[in-house]
Amino acid sequence: MGKVAAAIKVMPQDPEIDLDQLQERLEQNLPEGAKINGFDRDEVAFGLTALIPTVIVPDEAGGTEAVEEAFQGVEGVESVSVEDVGRL
Amino acid sequence: MSEDKPHQNLAVIGHVDHGKSTLVGRLLYETENVPEHVIEQHKEEAEEKGKGGFEFAYVMDNLAEERERGVTIDIAHQEFDTDEYYFTIVDCPGHRDFVKNMITGASQADNAVLVVAADDGVQPQTQEHVFLARTLGIDEMIIAVNKMDLVDYEEGRYEQTKDEVEDLLNQVRFDTDSVKYIPVSAFEGDNVASESENTPWYDGEILLEALNNLPEPSPPTDADLRLPIQDVYTISGIGTVPVGRVETGVLNTGDNVSFQPSDVSGEVKTIEMHHEEVPKAEPGDNVGFNVRGIGKDDIRRGDVCGPADDPPSVAETFQAQVVVMQHPSVITAGYTPVFHAHTAQVACTIESIDKKIDPASGETAEEDPDFIQSGDAAVVTVRPQKPLSIEPSSEIPELGSFAIRDMGQTIAAGKVLSVNER
Repeated sequence: MGKVAAAIKVMPQDPEIDLDQLQERLEQNLPEGAKINGFDRDEVAFGLTALIPTVIVPDEAGGTEAVEEAFQGVEGVESVSVEDVGRL
Repeated sequence: MSEDKPHQNLAVIGHVDHGKSTLVGRLLYETENVPEHVIEQHKEEAEEKGKGGFEFAYVMDNLAEERERGVTIDIAHQEFDTDEYYFTIVDCPGHRDFVKNMITGASQADNAVLVVAADDGVQPQTQEHVFLARTLGIDEMIIAVNKMDLVDYEEGRYEQTKDEVEDLLNQVRFDTDSVKYIPVSAFEGDNVASESENTPWYDGEILLEALNNLPEPSPPTDADLRLPIQDVYTISGIGTVPVGRVETGVLNTGDNVSFQPSDVSGEVKTIEMHHEEVPKAEPGDNVGFNVRGIGKDDIRRGDVCGPADDPPSVAETFQAQVVVMQHPSVITAGYTPVFHAHTAQVACTIESIDKKIDPASGETAEEDPDFIQSGDAAVVTVRPQKPLSIEPSSEIPELGSFAIRDMGQTIAAGKVLSVNER
């Protein structure tokens, strides 16, 4: 099986959250076997900005679940959702 | 790529060994979308090893390595164009656990190419992918009967494969009139970009023609507004701000909107997108908005925002067609896994298994079966354990499909046939 790229949208708990620090915390909490290639930022509304890391995971059991769960537990994260997936 | 042609998301689906990657590689190559240096590199390596020929799967491997070095999600999407369209290939992951993401994700495929190998015919994964394509709201499907070179371009083998696929499409009630079948060899290039001399018995469209002639996808702006809520914020100076992506219809400032199942309503004061105020939001737009008179605790993630005079449906029960993808034992009435639909995650009980469908004929195989298991398609009646807003797939497909998860796995996917409203 190959690898899958997933764009995972991470919403901060409020507009005041430091996104650079949040980005670091997400990197530190990445589960084994997953890799972050880069971050996009999506300005949403009323000062809220989403971080959208592109995460590479193996195309196997569990999918993006482990990454979603890990990100959900990171301080300052309101919600985590997978926007897009595709095979590499 | 410039913006002068309409854009289509194209899913390439089919059984794991039927040549999806090779076909994608061939399409990119024939439309001159494989970077020159990748081809050169491959030719050099092939010559060193004394191998001739041009193996697209190998080129695709090289492309994969190259793409993995890229930074954002664009690396996972390959693009090519025809006279009419720009296509982005949505290359669906093989593992079933990604199905949830395909159902709840943002970039859904408009149309699909189903790859079926002439030397292998319809396989369980072919069946699963066709069902998923239907569930994901794909309208048009082109069937590439691939690996014709391996069956000596025999018309009989092509017809046989075509018949098998037709049975399968009938089963999921795909409108087979508009489906096109094309005998191809992705490996040799037959009937992809030019008519093949090896299939004189075939006089239909070749693959790139068929892609070029697909109908233009229309954004669902005509439908009623449906905006599933992803998060709810309190922003100082503004008040309560729900955030989400418009699935169907249009959200305008001044609209009177209703949130279901929380069952509150109010007037839209302001809408922001990309931190700028906008008068309206359309399908695909990610927005935050502010509604007069609604507090942070009045609404929650999983609510669906719609017009107040025709609010989103809330299901007491609903009937759905499901396909069981993986389950260690059997599913019986009373089973209560978690349903993932739009932004909602709600435990739902499968109240009854109404009928099982025979994959070969598409007809009812058994009324009221005692159980269903992996590989089965069935019609079931479902009772959400908490209020859930969901719509019949025939009316609003964007809000009518779901994935079923249990034990850390995606065990089934389905689409809503009818909703018995609360």
